[in-house]
Amino acid sequence: MPAEEMGKVTDRTRLIFAVSSVVFLAVLAISPFKDFRREWKQYKRSYLRFAQSRPDTKKLLADYRPDIDQIWLPGMNVVDRCSTCHQGITQASLAGPEVPQPFRAHPPIPHHVRDWGCTVCHRGQGPATEVAEAHESTLAWEQPILSTRFIQASCGTCHYANLPQTPQLTRGRELLAELNCEGCHRLPGIDHPAMLGPDLTNVGTKVSREWIYKWLKEPRTIVDKDGNVTVNGYETEEEPRMPKFRLTEAELRGLSAYLSVQRAKAVVPYKMDPRLVAAWSKNPELISQGELRFRQMFCSTCHSLAVTRAGETKLIGGDIGPELTKVGSKVNSDWLIAWLRDPPTYLSRTRMPRYGWSDEDLYKVTQYITTKLTDSDLLTGVPQLGQPTEEEIQLGRRLFLEKGCASCHSIEGLNPQKDFGPDLSALGGKNASELEFGAAKIPHYLVTYIQAKLQDPTSVNPAARMPQYNWNQADLDAVTTALLSMKGPPATSALQNLVVPRKEVSFHPTGSFGEVYERYKCSTCHKFNGYGGDLAPDLSYEGSRAQRQWLVDFLKNPQTLRPTLILRMPQFNMSDKDAATLADYITMVLQHPAANPGSVDAKQFTPAMAVLGKQLYEVKYQCQSCHTIGGTGGYVGPNLNNAGGWLTPAWIEAWLRNPQALVPDTIEPRRNFTEDEVKALTAYLTTLRQSIKPQKTASNTGSHVLAQVAER
Amino acid sequence: MKRHIWIGALLVATLAGAGACRHPAENAKTDPLLAAYETEADWSDAQRVIPLSYQQAQGKRIFYQQCVWCHADATPAGPSNRSNLTPVPPLLNDGAALNAESDQNLQNIITLGGSAVGKSAMMPPYGRMLSAEEIRSVIAFARVIAQPPYQSPRRVGSQ
Repeated sequence: MPAEEMGKVTDRTRLIFAVSSVVFLAVLAISPFKDFRREWKQYKRSYLRFAQSRPDTKKLLADYRPDIDQIWLPGMNVVDRCSTCHQGITQASLAGPEVPQPFRAHPPIPHHVRDWGCTVCHRGQGPATEVAEAHESTLAWEQPILSTRFIQASCGTCHYANLPQTPQLTRGRELLAELNCEGCHRLPGIDHPAMLGPDLTNVGTKVSREWIYKWLKEPRTIVDKDGNVTVNGYETEEEPRMPKFRLTEAELRGLSAYLSVQRAKAVVPYKMDPRLVAAWSKNPELISQGELRFRQMFCSTCHSLAVTRAGETKLIGGDIGPELTKVGSKVNSDWLIAWLRDPPTYLSRTRMPRYGWSDEDLYKVTQYITTKLTDSDLLTGVPQLGQPTEEEIQLGRRLFLEKGCASCHSIEGLNPQKDFGPDLSALGGKNASELEFGAAKIPHYLVTYIQAKLQDPTSVNPAARMPQYNWNQADLDAVTTALLSMKGPPATSALQNLVVPRKEVSFHPTGSFGEVYERYKCSTCHKFNGYGGDLAPDLSYEGSRAQRQWLVDFLKNPQTLRPTLILRMPQFNMSDKDAATLADYITMVLQHPAANPGSVDAKQFTPAMAVLGKQLYEVKYQCQSCHTIGGTGGYVGPNLNNAGGWLTPAWIEAWLRNPQALVPDTIEPRRNFTEDEVKALTAYLTTLRQSIKPQKTASNTGSHVLAQVAER
Repeated sequence: MKRHIWIGALLVATLAGAGACRHPAENAKTDPLLAAYETEADWSDAQRVIPLSYQQAQGKRIFYQQCVWCHADATPAGPSNRSNLTPVPPLLNDGAALNAESDQNLQNIITLGGSAVGKSAMMPPYGRMLSAEEIRSVIAFARVIAQPPYQSPRRVGSQ
């Protein structure tokens, strides 16, 4: 540009200047208009109008400011501006469904929004001031709002201990433990299941190569096109523990070859007196008596069988042990007898108790199992596999480690790979961009990823090693929730302080009680000090509750006390010595501090007190609505026919004063009895006595039990 | 001078572009079941699933622990104690019997027991066992499953 033209204003420049000034002016004018039209300001004004239409306007507008509202909790990293639009969030009068969103009040929950903010539970982008940015996944923010369907995951990020208020989360954690997800993945706070996949060190002595082949190919579980899960052809709602691995023919041959040669310790056949066996085998009712004993021993408490009623076949029985409908075609009979006599010699970690079998019962029951619980078509479709070759065995051994079999099943001398699957301890906080979606045509969100991977691992990764599970929708959502709750260690120290840890519990008694307790596997069904199963009553304070003689009688001959419950306590054929050992320990050790059996002297109760107690029971408090005495009364609580022979007076008194102090989750409501009423009721209840009738092998008992089992 | 024009034009374009660029908010899923804390199948029509809020879900939990034994025809253990009692207690979803009772009345019956409010002594008091909040949640659950449906009185006027 020549120097003389510098500073010279031409018409053209003026024109450009004028036009651009007008444009800038226009743009400047748009800016306040746009600011006025901002999304959150519209919601502010709309709330103002809405509040004015309500009768409690003054209260609704007490905190109203035309600016952005925010909840700032520096310790928890919370800057939540959600209440800028969700302005009625804390207004109790705006709870109804007629109140339009975003103004509706938050439903009542234990954590107040002012103290916790919103995103701690709901996720989303707290500081955002636009609806889409706050709720959705954007390029800069990949933690969208968490659907209420999985909201319990947020409870789990701090509450490592299970809460009664979050059943879905608890179920998800249970499934993660039950299915031994921890075997391959790092999942903090998830236990190993009580029983992993069985140890396979001696599996070759138990089943044939053909059976192993069939099992690996189709682990009894079949899901039809409608999503119905069947186990061995019978419908079930339980998630089978053995998932399906995607194995080729060569892999099936290799694994079945390798497993069928696992015979480290041969089964020693148990010898019964051949003359007795010959006599028993001539008994025309041998099989039906075997079936009766099978039922009387309450095998169905842990094992299920397929039962056909009214044309419908269902699995009936417990799911602690495997389903047994076709077990006679699965295991060889020498193994079966050895197993029933002493389960821990085959599986040291088994939950199966050791029964005190007589030879006759053992013979009858094994005859029943091997003749009735069979299926001649079980191995249809399995090719003739023949003797395993060395190559097949080597391939099988390699596959056993590579496929992850060793994460659940152990074989002596074989060391499983550590950290077989990915670490999932922080999966719940992952961004979608950190995940591998492969060719899956699903929206790229964490939740959709987790669900796709759980339903079909190959959908997001064709080379996935993870096996195939068959979830129903509720279980799928529960496991998703539990995984979403795993966000790793809390991000700030303030959150760290909020963590409610899980209580680690265990109960390993020693001495002679410990030996009997282990032998009968009491903790499979009963809880002791928070440890054990929940199929049967918690026995932590049984010594305060029950009288010693009653315990001995019950252990030798279990009877149910609760009319609505099916008796599931097996008949262990316990010796007097074992029953005494258990009863002594329970009476001496399993005591509640609030109910010391020695503290109440039954002699203080007079007949007049008992008469008053009876009146209180029958008229004033009408306890018969839930409890039965002498054949009349309700089904809810235990029957009290033998309350005087069963319960200690100290327990009855403490129980009447405050049942929850003794058993926190009991359903008996806490009443407001006066001290005299407590004494009178105790006096009455201690007069109630009934001897326990032996239920030995009377055949009608057997059919009664059968009917009860079928009822389930 | 041309450079200035270009810079000006660029500025204008940027401002205009920023104004026009606004993400359309995606429609959130409106299925009430997906937004529910829990669900309960309608007692008289198993096909109809009722979404429950947190409070109603807590009421459901407490109901199935404490109340189901006498206020439902099927219980987790199988048979119900209901037919065993005289007078027969109402089913929890019996709107014909319960809709007429105010929340406060129901709260009193549950807290103090039947005998305290002139009803059957077979209904025990729960005031020393359940908190007022827990009892409220049971009532909230009863209201949402009621058949015929429960109509809440206008809350606004009561404030």
